[in-house]
Amino acid sequence: MIGFIIRRLLSSIPTLLAVLTLVFLLVRVVPGDPAIAILGDRATPETLSALRAELGLDRWIGTQYFEFLGHALRGDLGTSMVTHRAVWTEIAEALPHTIVLTLAAMVIGCLVGIPAGVWAALHRNGTIDVLTRLLSLLGLSFPVFVSGIFLLIVFALQLHLFPVIGNPRPGDLIDGLHKLVLPAVTLGIVMAAYVVRVTRSSMLQVLGEDYIRTARAKGVPRRAIVWRHGLSNALIPVVTVVGLYVGILIGNSVLTEIVFNRPGLGKVIVSALTQRDYTMLQGMMVIYCFLIVVVNLITDISYGLIDPRVKQ
Amino acid sequence: MTLRITLSAALAAATLIAMPASAAPKSDLKVGMAAQDVGQLDPHRAVSTIDRTVVAWIYNGLVRFKPGTMDPAQIEPDLAEKWESSSDKLDWTFHLRHGVKFHGDFGELTADDIVFSLKRASDAKTSAFSADFAAFKTIEATDPYTVHIVLARQVPSLLGLVTNYSGGYIVSRKAVEKYGADFTRNPVGTGPFAFVSDTPNQSLELAAFDGYFRGKPKLEHVSYRYIPSDSSRDLAFQNGEIDLIYGKQDQAWINRIRALPNSVVDVFEPGELANLNLNITAKPLDDIRVRQAIAYAVNRPELVKWQGADTARPGQSVIPAGYLGFSKDVGLVNTDISKAKALLKDAGYPDGVTIKIIHTQLPQMLGSMQVVQAQLRKAGINLDIQVVDHATFHQQIRKDLSPIVYYAAARFPVADIYLTQFFHSSSIVGKPTAVTNFSHCDVADKEIDAAKSETDTEKQVALWIEAQKKIVAAVCAVPLAEALQIWAHRTDLDYGYELKASLSLGPLLTEATHFK
Repeated sequence: MIGFIIRRLLSSIPTLLAVLTLVFLLVRVVPGDPAIAILGDRATPETLSALRAELGLDRWIGTQYFEFLGHALRGDLGTSMVTHRAVWTEIAEALPHTIVLTLAAMVIGCLVGIPAGVWAALHRNGTIDVLTRLLSLLGLSFPVFVSGIFLLIVFALQLHLFPVIGNPRPGDLIDGLHKLVLPAVTLGIVMAAYVVRVTRSSMLQVLGEDYIRTARAKGVPRRAIVWRHGLSNALIPVVTVVGLYVGILIGNSVLTEIVFNRPGLGKVIVSALTQRDYTMLQGMMVIYCFLIVVVNLITDISYGLIDPRVKQ
Repeated sequence: MTLRITLSAALAAATLIAMPASAAPKSDLKVGMAAQDVGQLDPHRAVSTIDRTVVAWIYNGLVRFKPGTMDPAQIEPDLAEKWESSSDKLDWTFHLRHGVKFHGDFGELTADDIVFSLKRASDAKTSAFSADFAAFKTIEATDPYTVHIVLARQVPSLLGLVTNYSGGYIVSRKAVEKYGADFTRNPVGTGPFAFVSDTPNQSLELAAFDGYFRGKPKLEHVSYRYIPSDSSRDLAFQNGEIDLIYGKQDQAWINRIRALPNSVVDVFEPGELANLNLNITAKPLDDIRVRQAIAYAVNRPELVKWQGADTARPGQSVIPAGYLGFSKDVGLVNTDISKAKALLKDAGYPDGVTIKIIHTQLPQMLGSMQVVQAQLRKAGINLDIQVVDHATFHQQIRKDLSPIVYYAAARFPVADIYLTQFFHSSSIVGKPTAVTNFSHCDVADKEIDAAKSETDTEKQVALWIEAQKKIVAAVCAVPLAEALQIWAHRTDLDYGYELKASLSLGPLLTEATHFK
């Protein structure tokens, strides 16, 4: 197992390197000048070139690239062009918010999605099944900024249960949890919608297998058939899918953070993009790619844990 | 049964958490701003609405506009308690207030800080407003409380340059030297509110400055929150989580917020005039008949109707209404589609003409441009709009990539600045001295230059009017509409003055601002 993890980690290095290069190029291909973004429409060409020099943007692009690469490989992502703070500091502040939100959404997604998927599979083509599929379709069709606003209108504006602005007070756990509920549910809906579909079809397939029929014939109680024999096998594709959809989840978390005004990576990246904060944008992309590499790794490992065949 | 109990317990707990802690008199102001973050808190570089609004709460000028106004005639003492000038208006002496303190440990304000600040504001390396100070010859401190300014030539409004606006803000020399490039995130001024902290993507926190020379502010704390999503910002305001909110120049928004209980919509000056700047050197606009056709095809009243009666009014000249030197009799033409078509035919385009332009994706600006596009189409002028994001738009129009530039702006309310920046040949984009002359206009240089040093106000105004007439006649720009500033506040918030105008583009917070 350890050899497997090390091999996987090593194979991620060229991926990350390619990503670093791509990120550097992409950020510069996007038109728009950080100096104008910072100084605005009244700046004179002199002021702009003074700022460009200050930001190091007047140097040859190759110099900028190798400097960025050198620093990044040593774990130094530089300083934000706009806020003058270390990119790491901003990421370190924002990352926990995004991780908490994404994890909460995954938990909600699995807690709702897996039982609902099993339930639907057991009542194939019945009312419950049709209803579940319909709801999951709805969950997938509504973008999070629509469902998020809907939840805000109902639970914040009408019922006054939650606040609209979701940046938690630092160090206040209760406040943090309270403000986490709506965004986590918003994002959890998307996750649940995916999970329910995969669980249902995987469960249906497993329930049709020979060993289930054998178990039934042997008189194994229904509960044991469904949960021990059925679900434990049906979960393998579900785990893969959950892992794969973390990418989608992270994408949706950007929108969710904007709607609920949560100070996570999503808000930071949008802000870096609109302000053409090159260093910040590079740092964020590196972190996102790293996150996805790590999540894929964890998926592979947990896949191995659930299904012994994978390790061989 | 257990599920129901758990659920209702959870609901009850949530309700308890959501309840306000106490009903003590409010002294914390929460402001909702359409931003990800502030850009520059260095007042000499603060140009966006987001930055300008908050900078005005932290800094003072030598003089200031009476709160709530932008009338140069109502300029009153701020850091300087009195001033005098020589008869030729070239020598100015400002006498400072004694005992004015900077925020934090930066001590008392002296003439040295004023000299330092104004020199800094006039240096292109440290200031976005350096061009405004071109006429300053010397700035000296004659004693710790006296500043002497000598001008190389007369300027239309010297007081305007040293007011609480743009380059006129006074910074602490010690603080700038201490923080260096980080001064922009560690602002130190003399204003009613002092900087406490800034958390990017969350909020900027300010606290009342107890040592403020006009007295301790009534508000204790101001939280300037960045809420980029329009709908979330509106919902937070509606839910009472925010007391003051940046609004939209959109009639539907105004109507919706007005209908809410406990809310007041603020509509105030300055109006930002949107001009269609036509590049007179680029094909096919180098033919004046094509430009005239555009002028005849534009329908201002229709545009105002689209933008909304409360926020918009028709453009009346190529500079905004009400500026010193403004005139509405400058020869603008009214809509006449058949004339436009005839002119186009004359110019050799009987089947119409297509012009490729670049425009921003900002919804309000894009919407207005689409209305103009529809109007021009009636005359056979097709605008092929290439939509890019706002930062790209600004970069590309400065590279002369769009022959027509829609640009909305408000400036210091004297004709000189607007005319110089948008219509003087030295401001043509691409030149080293470029500002925002996208139309490559050079027809009124003589009048604009002459007005700068004209001592007789009447003659000066006449020159400015002449300049406007020439620019309109040459169709360097077609004025569209002026949009006023829109904010909204909860009814319990009292600014402490009547808000009719604010050059910082957001409500000014003063020592008198409080909750009722």
